[in-house]
Amino acid sequence: MEPRYVRGVGMTRFSVDDRSTISTSQEAVSKALADADMKVADIDAVVLSTEDTRVNDERQRHYSAMLASILKRKIPIIRVEAVCGGGGAAFWSACRMKYNNMLVLGVDKVACSPTPLVTKEIMNAGDNFWEQEEGLVFPAINALVAQQHFTQYGTTHEDLELISFKNHSNGALNPNAYFYKRPITLDTIKKGPMVASPFTLFDCSISVNGAAAAIISHDEGEIKVKASALNTDRLAPFERESLTEWKACTLAAKEAFKQADLSPKDIHVAEIHDAFTIVELIAYEDLGFAKKGEGAKLIRDGTVNLDGKMPVNTSGGLKARGHPISPTGVAQIVEIADQLRNKCGDRQVSSPKYGLAHNVGGAGGTISVHIFGKR
Amino acid sequence: MARIIRWVSKKSGKKWIHPIDTPLDKGDEIVKQVGTKTKVVGVTKVFIPNPLHPIVPYHVLILQDEHGSRMPKKTMKEYKIGDVYEDKPNKDENAIAAIKIKYDYLEAVDEALELIGDVKVTAKTRILIKPNASIPAYAYLGMCTNPKTMEALIQALLKRGAKAENITIAEQSFFLPLEKAAAKSGLPELIAKYKVNYVDISQTKFEEKKIREFTFKVSMLPQEFDLRFNVPVIKTDMQLGMDGAFENLTRFLEKQNFLEFAKNPKKAALALSVLPQALPSFITIGDASIGAQGNGPGEHGEPGFFNLIFAARNPVVHDAAVAKVFCLRIPPYIELAGKLGQGEYDIKKIEFVGNEYEALRRDVKQPIGSALLKEGL
Repeated sequence: MEPRYVRGVGMTRFSVDDRSTISTSQEAVSKALADADMKVADIDAVVLSTEDTRVNDERQRHYSAMLASILKRKIPIIRVEAVCGGGGAAFWSACRMKYNNMLVLGVDKVACSPTPLVTKEIMNAGDNFWEQEEGLVFPAINALVAQQHFTQYGTTHEDLELISFKNHSNGALNPNAYFYKRPITLDTIKKGPMVASPFTLFDCSISVNGAAAAIISHDEGEIKVKASALNTDRLAPFERESLTEWKACTLAAKEAFKQADLSPKDIHVAEIHDAFTIVELIAYEDLGFAKKGEGAKLIRDGTVNLDGKMPVNTSGGLKARGHPISPTGVAQIVEIADQLRNKCGDRQVSSPKYGLAHNVGGAGGTISVHIFGKR
Repeated sequence: MARIIRWVSKKSGKKWIHPIDTPLDKGDEIVKQVGTKTKVVGVTKVFIPNPLHPIVPYHVLILQDEHGSRMPKKTMKEYKIGDVYEDKPNKDENAIAAIKIKYDYLEAVDEALELIGDVKVTAKTRILIKPNASIPAYAYLGMCTNPKTMEALIQALLKRGAKAENITIAEQSFFLPLEKAAAKSGLPELIAKYKVNYVDISQTKFEEKKIREFTFKVSMLPQEFDLRFNVPVIKTDMQLGMDGAFENLTRFLEKQNFLEFAKNPKKAALALSVLPQALPSFITIGDASIGAQGNGPGEHGEPGFFNLIFAARNPVVHDAAVAKVFCLRIPPYIELAGKLGQGEYDIKKIEFVGNEYEALRRDVKQPIGSALLKEGL
């Protein structure tokens, strides 16, 4: 991969506001352009990720052309799809293109219908006949993964509660987070209503609306893309060799650390895809931050807390910043870029040099790992 | 039992959860592997509803078979890790098998037959199959019996020892020559492929049968067979509420006789409620792989991708159960048939095998404006 730099990032606040994707796209792109000190005319191509959801009022399937209308540019714009991992996959694609200044945009509007409809919409990312027909909604898939981890390795729901609490505490400090200034106590988390045993409400991320953008360039900038890796695995976890190891992650992580010539110990801050608390915990292991089965140690000993050795999800993660599907992967990169530039205010990590973003599509079907370094 | 199906590469041992019609690697051969000895290796209780699964809480199990293959399984019952999972066949007249198709129609139809106590077939058994192919429409519109379901039934019968020359498919169209009506149904291709017999019911002999106040002129064709299958596609219907086993039997009527009944929807429904008594018994294979919902055929109905195969020995049981699974009112003519002692229509007394009633229930678009449904009989 040729050297790439993050020149600018921008995002909307993730919310349940009834804003059109036209509006949120405009805001995220204009913020990224301002951050990069660029104009729309400087963008050579765009990689976009958005879901073709049926649960909003937009009915727009050709969003790349819609984005051309928004930007008023006649340039290549392509759409990359990997459900919740779409943002990371779009960034990975852009890193491999020859254009100089590339805009990566994730935009979606999912929080605009009753929860059962949104649940069904998201369930479409599972196998139709084996999973959807059997009621395997995403909280249930991940609950079963958690149960297997509990059984095999002795992880407990208390460990997952600590992850939820950490991310809510961080999100309360992030002005772009849905839960900004709305911390959730550990006691409230412990009393959360059951969603899919052993998961309660606080094991699950919240569906929101929003957009996030990043501009990458061959021209040198403050943040270097040290590694960009992506891998895919079989669609359904039940057909994989292991329910508790997401192979796409271990392979992408191995590739990323090789590209960056770094090891997990070198990472100072990470954004890990916590669509469900267990996903963050097994990612500790699959990314190499902990041995297999020992992910819970990192949350128990505070390593991943804001004041720990390697804070994870300083943005609040999907849990508390919110999870608008496609923008998530780009929002993670926004957070890492801001952390490396010491722009994160109350949640700023002390002088991080390297940051990692881990984005998951489906139940581990598509996983991207990006590593960034301060130049 | 639950069937866990895998398609396995002979060369590499790789397994797929969906069929591989064309092996990706040259020279490879794919074999189907079906596991039936299943135990529970994971359990979650789900509390959040969605339109496909509106009744909560429900459970999703992860089952694992003797080959190490896994599958999720929805159930309303409590299980724990380590439990054996099995469905026991039920031969009872009040039983209905409901099987979700896992990409493989043969396995679904085969399992459905097995779960209603199976059928005895020898090389000499004469078998009649009555699909729904009376509307010139492709099966993906939900108007005709899916040829995949038909093919699966033929294969299941051949597997049990039947001879193709002893299998007859019969249908009739009241409004078009049969060859035109069935042209898009996939039946002609199936008949050519399996070399089974094809009969236009309108060309058969009819006899008068008086059931209560109704005089039916019914085809004598079914009497020639040892084993009969009624294979309706499951459709909502603007007039009748739902088309299932009962409605599909109307095409054993002589055309003028049918048209006389059809003049008066209420009278037609009353006649329909006793029609099965004018015919020998059929096993119903309800094809809800792709059904229809909304106002049904000709009334802007739309396909419903229900992905289900039903099997029942009694048509009242079949139609009542299917209506309730899809949250439809049991059509009044089915209720009446039940009250006349032709079969059980009380959902509490119908035994589901393969999948539980509450675990299957889901809304479909209702047939709006049916006078029959509003006013009853």
